[in-house]
Amino acid sequence: MIRVAVTGIGVVTPIGFGRETFWRGLLEGKTGIGPVSSFDSTPYPVHIGGEVRDFVPERHLRRLNPETTGRASQMAAAAAGMALADSGIDLNSYNRKRVGVSMGTTSGEPLYVEQYNNIRKAEGEAAIPGDIFPRYPCHVIPTHVAMEHDVHGPCMMIPTACAAGNYAIGYGFDLLRMGRADLMLAGGADAFSRITYMGFARLGAIAPEKCQPFDKNRKGMIPGEGAAILVLEPLEAAKARGAKVYAEVLGYGVSCDSHHMTAAHPQGDGAIRAMRAAMRESGKTIQDIDYISAHGTGTPTNDRVETTAVRTLFADRAAQVPMSSIKSMMGHTMGAASAIEAAACSLALDTGWIPPTINYQDPDPECDLDYVPNQARKTDPRVILNNAYAFGGNNASLCLTRYEG
Amino acid sequence: MSSRVVVTGAGVLSPVGAGLEEFQRVLWSGASAIEPSTRFAGAVTAEFHELNVAPWLGTKGIRVLDRSARLLCSSTQMALAGTGLAVEIGEAGEPDFGLVCGTMFGSVHSITSFDWSGQTEGVTLVNPMEFPNTVINSPAGQAAIKYKLRGVNSTICCGLSSGLQAINYAAEFLRMGRARVLLAGGVEELCEESLGGFQKTGISSPTGKVQPFASGRDGTIPGEGSALWMLESEDNAIAKGRTPVIEICGFGTASDAHSIQAYNVRGEGATDAIAQALENSNIGPEQIACIIASANGSRAGDEMEARALKKVFGEHLNEIPVSAPKAAFGECMGVSGALCALAGGLALQHQCAPPTAGFEGGDTGLKLSASAQPVRGEYALINAFGCDGNNASLVIRLWKK
Repeated sequence: MIRVAVTGIGVVTPIGFGRETFWRGLLEGKTGIGPVSSFDSTPYPVHIGGEVRDFVPERHLRRLNPETTGRASQMAAAAAGMALADSGIDLNSYNRKRVGVSMGTTSGEPLYVEQYNNIRKAEGEAAIPGDIFPRYPCHVIPTHVAMEHDVHGPCMMIPTACAAGNYAIGYGFDLLRMGRADLMLAGGADAFSRITYMGFARLGAIAPEKCQPFDKNRKGMIPGEGAAILVLEPLEAAKARGAKVYAEVLGYGVSCDSHHMTAAHPQGDGAIRAMRAAMRESGKTIQDIDYISAHGTGTPTNDRVETTAVRTLFADRAAQVPMSSIKSMMGHTMGAASAIEAAACSLALDTGWIPPTINYQDPDPECDLDYVPNQARKTDPRVILNNAYAFGGNNASLCLTRYEG
Repeated sequence: MSSRVVVTGAGVLSPVGAGLEEFQRVLWSGASAIEPSTRFAGAVTAEFHELNVAPWLGTKGIRVLDRSARLLCSSTQMALAGTGLAVEIGEAGEPDFGLVCGTMFGSVHSITSFDWSGQTEGVTLVNPMEFPNTVINSPAGQAAIKYKLRGVNSTICCGLSSGLQAINYAAEFLRMGRARVLLAGGVEELCEESLGGFQKTGISSPTGKVQPFASGRDGTIPGEGSALWMLESEDNAIAKGRTPVIEICGFGTASDAHSIQAYNVRGEGATDAIAQALENSNIGPEQIACIIASANGSRAGDEMEARALKKVFGEHLNEIPVSAPKAAFGECMGVSGALCALAGGLALQHQCAPPTAGFEGGDTGLKLSASAQPVRGEYALINAFGCDGNNASLVIRLWKK
């Protein structure tokens, strides 16, 4: 069986770009939440978001033209560049037909939908330029990553909403294990959009001031944006080239609640099945798991259900397994979220530190686990579960382990 | 446990009919569904007419479903009913029974309308019930809720190759033991946004005709529909008393994008995809008895595919019947690959390749015909190539014990 290593990390997030800035920010409990600047939030009942600020695509893109490339694609291609640089890989020494891209997203390139409606409203249907909608379908994101880095292997988009990053990393892992690729760029991307913002605002799901996962007074999630790409390669290949190995991917599990489009199953049925499947595939049990990267959006329901699921599955061990949500710092970056969280998990395994849940003040009797409140902690985790849940009742848990050399 | 993945059921709603029987009857008759649109003024399309969902969906709880979700739910119901599975209880509720859905534009009409309501009526007045329809995996999620599909529920977006990629993704999940039964294929709806986008891609026919591989071809016409295969391991099918029809053998995929809106005429990616699919199936080109082409009438796309086929098949190509069913159902985008897969399965089953509707001759040298052609062999190749460098090829085989 081919073992799969994480050997490169590229991130574009509300708390900064690149592995080092990102990881320092996470351990310091930095917040990337601020007033919405990419559109006028005046008509909305809430006004904050996790936007990626100061992203200048020209600084990151060599082949793609930023003017004809959507924002999610720009961030994804930039993250891929950072991940490749971090891995020390020279693609010229690879058969580019054996290098693939696997991405997830919630909304694809929604800014083109906004542009379409803006022109339609201001100037009428006839004024809408022809090249808007061809840029919208979400497969353009991995396609742009492949174009920017001139790679020609499998090119996959798995738009399973807010769990998509885990699905995409999982599929990259699958392609390597099946021997269908030598190297995979896997992750997720989503752009901040008034459409997503409006939807969550109308559901009453957005917190007005801060994201406080698992806190008694949590008031909701905060929409964000970003991209993360992991370089995945066979462990043997990584060792042969003397690469830095951040972590090893062991397996993943997916499931569907089949219950409700936006609300999780109240007992966490699907969440439990996804975690169990991930552990089974990885040859691990609840005794082995020593950190959980929570989906932890900060909505009253999500955090309660996720806690219930972990409690049910881990039973007496539940309270001994630290579980934190980095969404407390950057908001919910949608299809990028679980990919960004997988990057954080890889760094936790590499450094021994686990990031905190910030803004945690009052314990909630219904959420009674160890959420690593406010301070990063050195626990030297060996095996981690990365949870992600999504609209449509999609659940995906990814299992990673420390590489012992 | 056998790792052979087999087809034991199907559900289809397409411009050439609903249900596998009607799909086969119309497609093999040589008729084409490409005609002036009844929904979009001045457009020529290949539509699924009369989306009256009651026969398949009933009337309960469907108000919130958008067109894509209705199409997908209907094909799901057909695939489940056709194989005698109870929907409410029994297998379809088990945790390793899932759905993998390919799509290109997804719910683009729903997301555009939702934003339009916000911009015209006010962001605090939009209907929150419509928000879930804006995510790309919404049709798959709705089908899972309606039919209690609790296993993997993935949506796959790879442009025009999405449907074929979804079938392969499902086959891989079955081989890895992550599921026991999976419905796999795709869905695409025609709406003003996808139609407008399609017409501007540069592959749209200005004369409203789809003439795959013909010398005078000038582009393609968009279509819509939903198609699913029910896939499972051979052992599981036999244990459950279901007779497999087709076996999924091998798959190839390669990306050669130089633009997101143009075919790569040189066809390196298409060639690699076909060659990989044969290699992955452990067969040589001479064993392929039928080719279901991706050709949709676009000048560059068909030229690319003909070049790739010649490169891989060489002189064997003189003997192999080729069909381009998009002459009948248009370019159905995210579901095209699945529709072509269903056509390929039927061609093997009946040892008869479907006509390429209206084919009058071309300059590619491929063995095409406006009539059905006899098939003599076990294996078929199905291609799904996109105008964005996304290329996929699947090899299937007539199932034998």
